[in-house]
Amino acid sequence: MVEQQIRARDMRADVAEILISEEQIRAKVAELGGRIAADYSTSSVTLVSVLKGSLPFMADLMRAIEIPVTIDLMEVSSYGGASTETSGLVRILKDLSSSIAGKDVLIVEDIIDTGLTLNYLLRYLRGKNPRSLRICALLDKPARRLVEINIDYLGFTIPDEFVVGYGLDFGEFYRNLPFIGVLRRELYETT
Amino acid sequence: MTDQPRFAHASEAELARILDYYGVRWEYEPRTFPILWNTDGKVVESFSPDFYLPDLEVYVELTTLKQSLVRRKNRKLRRLRELYPDIRVKLFYGKDFRALMLKYGRFDLAASLSGLEGQIVPVRLDAQPSLRVAIPASPAEAAPPLPPVVERESAETEGVAVVDGCRPSRGTRRRRGRRAFIGAEES
Repeated sequence: MVEQQIRARDMRADVAEILISEEQIRAKVAELGGRIAADYSTSSVTLVSVLKGSLPFMADLMRAIEIPVTIDLMEVSSYGGASTETSGLVRILKDLSSSIAGKDVLIVEDIIDTGLTLNYLLRYLRGKNPRSLRICALLDKPARRLVEINIDYLGFTIPDEFVVGYGLDFGEFYRNLPFIGVLRRELYETT
Repeated sequence: MTDQPRFAHASEAELARILDYYGVRWEYEPRTFPILWNTDGKVVESFSPDFYLPDLEVYVELTTLKQSLVRRKNRKLRRLRELYPDIRVKLFYGKDFRALMLKYGRFDLAASLSGLEGQIVPVRLDAQPSLRVAIPASPAEAAPPLPPVVERESAETEGVAVVDGCRPSRGTRRRRGRRAFIGAEES
């Protein structure tokens, strides 16, 4: 139902307000990349992107870090997905491709909301014995935080709005918008 | 987490499932905090947060009441924080819960689990007891099966349809709502 409604619409018309523009994102990513490069200047860092939402952020951030980096991707099931009914527990849909033992690891997240997913990932990745484990998040939405998490590199703190774009989705759509916008309320309230 | 408690509201059961899903340990209403005493030292008002997350050392209170009725709970929470400054309590409003359900793609639950619709309605004594669950206004809004939910008479129950056809009269519902609201003030 959601899919049909979205397909029939102009994506940009579904955005009530542009919260963070392309230019603001670009500038912030460059700033974060510079900080990360400075902090890890004596070593290299492994960036671990959490699919799917952080994909655009990861792609831009890794190019803004001017030191050697390696990258890896992870995907975990989300509550409410098909796996919920079968196992009732988070499943690793895509695990790391190589060992992170003894390495400096930086988790790259698109948004931290409740903190539940990241809390799970932190526990999981700590079990793989990295030398260090830090967090870089483009967006922080603290209004509904359940698990307090220390964000080492943060882009923007945003208000309690339903946001889409730059990787963030609603019903798997809108990820390809180049900015971060507030979704029109009537769109999700009528679905 | 092993033994499911009898939740007062369907949204609480849903939050318990979310916490289980992400491997976060929880306890349901493990502690009651006195927040008001009379001159004899007797507790006249207390507050029992819905969940305690021991690993995170935080209490979670989930309220899906209508916003107009939340003010009293906010007051109790303020009082709790004054008296117990070391206790961390996170209040989840109905809008927060709906947003959470939307985030997880549970559009059906976002529409049906909050406020009135998530509440169990007490059955009239003269009615034949049968299935006593609240249902959405239309079949299209129906949510997936949920863990057991215990009855709780409160202001949230007013206006909820009942499966077995023993829906109380409007007057009865209003009286119940008033009693529950007063009771909530005193609890």
